[in-house]
Amino acid sequence: MEARQENVEIPEALQVVFAKLEEEFGDTFLGSSFFRGELTFTVSVDDYVAVATFCKESPDLAFERLDCLLGNHYPKRADAPFEVVLHLTSVSRNTRLRLKIPLAEGQKIPTISGVWASADWDEREAWEMFGIEFQGHPNLIRLLTTEDFVGFPLRKDFPVRGTVGGRIRTDLKGKI
Amino acid sequence: MTDPTSPRRAAPFSPPGTARLLSAADLAALSDASDAHVKEALHEDHIPGVAIPASLEKLLGFGRSFSWWPLLFGLACCAIEMMATAGPRYDLSRFGMEAMRASPRQADGMIVAGWCSTKMAPRVVRLYEQIADPKWVLAMGSCATSGNIWNTYNVVQGIDALIPVDVYVPGCPPRPEALWEGLEMLRDRVKQSRHAYDGLRIIPARAAIGE
Repeated sequence: MEARQENVEIPEALQVVFAKLEEEFGDTFLGSSFFRGELTFTVSVDDYVAVATFCKESPDLAFERLDCLLGNHYPKRADAPFEVVLHLTSVSRNTRLRLKIPLAEGQKIPTISGVWASADWDEREAWEMFGIEFQGHPNLIRLLTTEDFVGFPLRKDFPVRGTVGGRIRTDLKGKI
Repeated sequence: MTDPTSPRRAAPFSPPGTARLLSAADLAALSDASDAHVKEALHEDHIPGVAIPASLEKLLGFGRSFSWWPLLFGLACCAIEMMATAGPRYDLSRFGMEAMRASPRQADGMIVAGWCSTKMAPRVVRLYEQIADPKWVLAMGSCATSGNIWNTYNVVQGIDALIPVDVYVPGCPPRPEALWEGLEMLRDRVKQSRHAYDGLRIIPARAAIGE
């Protein structure tokens, strides 16, 4: 495992996490890193559910909590512009883990709302903001934007300013 | 939303100084209103539909200004400063405003504290309409005034696109003293019963989108 900073002591608890995950899924990981006290694994879409389930249910890892599931968009990365990031926390072991799943344009990813129930709304938000589709999701509809909103706002090519896709007419502001 | 041709909207009673709201076309359209007092009321600051002596109006205004209960309406961070203003150090209870009503039916007005998203906008308007006349609105903070730095896809650029505003208090968030000064300006308006029936005005932004 590479530590990006020289002479950094990796904490014992995280060494256990790393060892267990490497033992179970060793060669299927796309990458791993330890930076500033945080352990990250890059996972492919095919192994994603298995890794997530193992993280939660393995008694050594015991990641009971999904802090958040996020989407991300890197337009400069041509082969895999989208990404789903999971932040896992183990309250009993006092460890944290990050899983990154790179996705191509239009590639679908299975849902983990069966593993952690909080993923339900997180995945709805990721779909709404980035257009990442989650297969098997019970209710993949919009969460935060208005019903007639058009577009995926947090993509990097969505305009930053102006009520694009919204309904309030700002050109009428101050006419009252 | 209400029909533009309903009786309430057919006869807006706008106080002077807001003549820009009623264009010549609007006045021409209203010229076939049957009652002469309607046309007169358009140019004078009267309580619509009721002719009461000025001294009674002054007394009512005086009484209302010392017991103006706003709607509990903290949308975002400005709500914290609103709570601080209601707290012991900068006490709103001195002005009779500590009773922030949760129900719009029981409120005298609203302090819109925080940014309004496009999803929240119809609800803000609905709550405003549910407050009984006379009512006044204070836009607290830069977000309610103009959207602040959030010129983005989901934030209303100032709630005066939706409801008529009496006092704007800039700041991010405004200090309790600033909100207090804004409330003093508002209380002046309440005391004089000025712009008390702004809720009856046609709001061009909403008429344009067909409400």
